[in-house]
Amino acid sequence: MGSDRKTFEFHATFSELDEGLDMMHLSIQRLRKAVGRGDDDGPLLLFETALGEIGGNVLTHGNPPGVERPIEYELRFDGEVVVALLSDSGLPAHEHLSRDMPDHESESGRGLAMARSLLDELGYERDGDVNRWRLVKRL
Amino acid sequence: MALEVETRQADNGVTVVAPTGRLDVAGAPALKEAISEAAKKVGPHRVVIDMEGVSFVDSTGLGSVIAALKQLRSSQGDLRLAAPNQQARVVLELTTLDQVFPYYATVEEALTGF
Repeated sequence: MGSDRKTFEFHATFSELDEGLDMMHLSIQRLRKAVGRGDDDGPLLLFETALGEIGGNVLTHGNPPGVERPIEYELRFDGEVVVALLSDSGLPAHEHLSRDMPDHESESGRGLAMARSLLDELGYERDGDVNRWRLVKRL
Repeated sequence: MALEVETRQADNGVTVVAPTGRLDVAGAPALKEAISEAAKKVGPHRVVIDMEGVSFVDSTGLGSVIAALKQLRSSQGDLRLAAPNQQARVVLELTTLDQVFPYYATVEEALTGF
């Protein structure tokens, strides 16, 4: 008996902020369509919000001047769990990972705390001179 | 997708700022600039941000709203949010900033008594 689980994969590389953000939101839109989820699907909305945070950080800090390597992006859904992988050539990010949510007056510093709250797993590793991010959520 | 921002004056003198697009790390500077320009023209005042055309908000976009609120309150003005979508409400609640920004279902509701 065959499985009727709907799966999805998307790959892209990019270097520019607008291009990268457009591409990540487009990938989520295509995932919604491919697996029959609406725009108001809660878990996917939370995942897209986390992806916007990590993706925005990667696009802002992960492509320093003089580095030619583009940002690599991959989105996979196996029918139950969605995983996004991002790799960039920015500075190591270890020190920012455990940052708490700042107070109400602060104009920045919420992104990683938000992503941690929204995902089932936020993975990060420094691989040579590359940052590798892994965002996981069960839909 | 660049954020476009339109600004108008409501009958009660409140400035209504209406961004369209994603209020994110790419779009936040446009909102900041629009509110700064509006504040220069009419001085201390009240602003409603009409979020109906905003499809997505990230923490940097939220930061631009906090900056606007601080700027306005420092000159005895104030800020209200109107018509945030489901995603924006999630972000406001997650960051507990819904305690700082009163938000309203429509622009008309936000303008009432402001």
